[in-house]
Amino acid sequence: MIEETDISKEGLLTAYKNIVMERLFDKKMLNASRQGFLPFYIPLMGHEAIHIGLGMAIRDEDFFYPYYRDFGVLLQMGIPIDTILSQVFATATDNEIGRDMPDHFSLKKYNIGAVITPVAGHLTSATGIAYAKKYRKQKGSVITTFGDGATSTPDFHVAMNFAGVYNLPMVFFVENNQFAISVPTYPSTDKAFSNTYEETRGAIYKKAEAYGFTGIRIDGTNFLEVYRATRQALESAENQPILIEAMTYRMGPHSTADDPNKYRTTTVIEGGDKDPLVVNQKMLKDMKILTDKDISSINAEMDETTSQLIDKYEKAPKPDKSTMMGNLYEDEPWYISEERGDIQ
Amino acid sequence: MTQMTMVKALNSGLNNAMEKDDSIILLGEDVGTDGGVFRVTDGLLAKYGRERVVDTPLAELGIVGFGIGMSMAGLKAIPEIQFQDFIYTAMDQIINQMAKLRYRTNGDYTLPMVLRTPYGGGVHGGPYHSQSGEAYFTHTQGLTVVTPSNPYDAKGLLLSSIELNDPVIFLEPKRLYYAGKMDVPDDYYKVDLRKANVIREGDDLTIITYGPAVPLVKSTVEKNNVNAQIIDLRTLSPFDLETIMAGVKKTGKVLIVHEAPKMFGVGAELSATISERAIDYLAAPILRVTGLDIPIPFALEDYYVPNEKRIMAAIEKLLKY
Repeated sequence: MIEETDISKEGLLTAYKNIVMERLFDKKMLNASRQGFLPFYIPLMGHEAIHIGLGMAIRDEDFFYPYYRDFGVLLQMGIPIDTILSQVFATATDNEIGRDMPDHFSLKKYNIGAVITPVAGHLTSATGIAYAKKYRKQKGSVITTFGDGATSTPDFHVAMNFAGVYNLPMVFFVENNQFAISVPTYPSTDKAFSNTYEETRGAIYKKAEAYGFTGIRIDGTNFLEVYRATRQALESAENQPILIEAMTYRMGPHSTADDPNKYRTTTVIEGGDKDPLVVNQKMLKDMKILTDKDISSINAEMDETTSQLIDKYEKAPKPDKSTMMGNLYEDEPWYISEERGDIQ
Repeated sequence: MTQMTMVKALNSGLNNAMEKDDSIILLGEDVGTDGGVFRVTDGLLAKYGRERVVDTPLAELGIVGFGIGMSMAGLKAIPEIQFQDFIYTAMDQIINQMAKLRYRTNGDYTLPMVLRTPYGGGVHGGPYHSQSGEAYFTHTQGLTVVTPSNPYDAKGLLLSSIELNDPVIFLEPKRLYYAGKMDVPDDYYKVDLRKANVIREGDDLTIITYGPAVPLVKSTVEKNNVNAQIIDLRTLSPFDLETIMAGVKKTGKVLIVHEAPKMFGVGAELSATISERAIDYLAAPILRVTGLDIPIPFALEDYYVPNEKRIMAAIEKLLKY
């Protein structure tokens, strides 16, 4: 399993730190949400290895169109933490001035698309961006992420079809956490009685074949496997699109609005041997990158860092109400100007 | 100057724009090899090639979403939906992505794109080739909704729409596509999107109309010697408040004519806006002559859409009031 890697020891440690940071941040944000500091939050637990692997794989020349559960990708890509957290906490300095929900980033200057809530609503846009890249003969590919639930939508099938028809530089990346809120994935894609992805004949990665390109399934709990497969896909996509299905398990709820105990027995538990944090700790220890001492010191460091950051952004000023009417149109219509006077 | 139908004028506008700007991409079902089912994109494939005049798979959701992506990436997409009746599988893209992108990202992304589609009756297309769905778009914040009523405006409004740095729903009245020719410049020119057109002056009442109903209103008024002012809105949203208010204050009587159904339609918003601002100037109730509040029937379309008799009945009621 352990191979020589093109990532330096320092790079691997940074990746590990980001996995830990994402995990701790996630737990604290869920707490903040339960205590009423945040109206809404999208949990990440179980997706850390996918996120960090993706963040390592995406190159400057690529375009990334994320969905709403991709916090850690931005962390690993090196987007300034201030930019990320201003958005999550909807502060006055957020580049979207608090107009969209947490994790709905829009970062054009980093080649990152505008996260949209309706599931799969960005997939045809991402495909159009890939068309523009090809038309302009620009280097790099477009990679778009989405959950397994998204693969039941018309948007997914239309985007896959267009990508195949025009042979676009597209990487479709499914973060398969096996649940669309309460509905397990495999009964949605094959037969209502298939309970696991091993049983199903309608595996998501196989759908690519119908659209004329390759689909692969990878272990989404191992960040190096995610990194390698994605980097290779971003390179090969310049010649042909590809679909990657990364398998993991959503260890938390879908959002702060549901309780998983109502619809499932959670089979991957925190600290268990399928928990991505445990999987990658063990791998890096086996690779002699990480010691038990490092693990506890990184944990302490990240615990302190995340607490300080959350405290800072929780207290940061919110946008002023005078900002809410702007930027609907470039040239503001008369009724918008009038309604500015109605805000009280 | 060339005598052009509305189809020819639109084609000429697309050609002028594409010649000038290589970021413009046309896409849609049958827009390439076939030149569009109404021939609006005729000849453009031969001139600009398959990369810029893109025949797409049959998926309205994809045509619009694909166009949005192109425009997000710095191109200027001009998707065509073959009939407005078929646009609904793309409504999620139009309402949730196209219309909201600038606002929700606070301008991080802007979306210069023009979504063209023929609408309204005139070809006896029944419930699914004749709809007037403009109110679905005018009720969506962030869209500019434009509809021309003659070949000259069609080209000039289209070129202004293409230059706009925001998404436009460009509704083409299919009954006017081949309804007559007029002198249209061969060169590039624009018609102001935010300015309604007073196409006839008059003192006794003001008729506000747009798109497919304009020639009917004009001929009705002329034939019956009515001393009416006629305002062609050109852009439904955001509409030109100033021109409307000037007309209302001048004549004190208002008739609104459109082909779309009455309930919750464009006429309702115009009527409410006028009432809120100028009730003291009104000498009569604001009346509406519109399509009936039923789906458009195949065999009896001519009774569904406004006609001379219905318009004259409303005019007489207002004049007598």
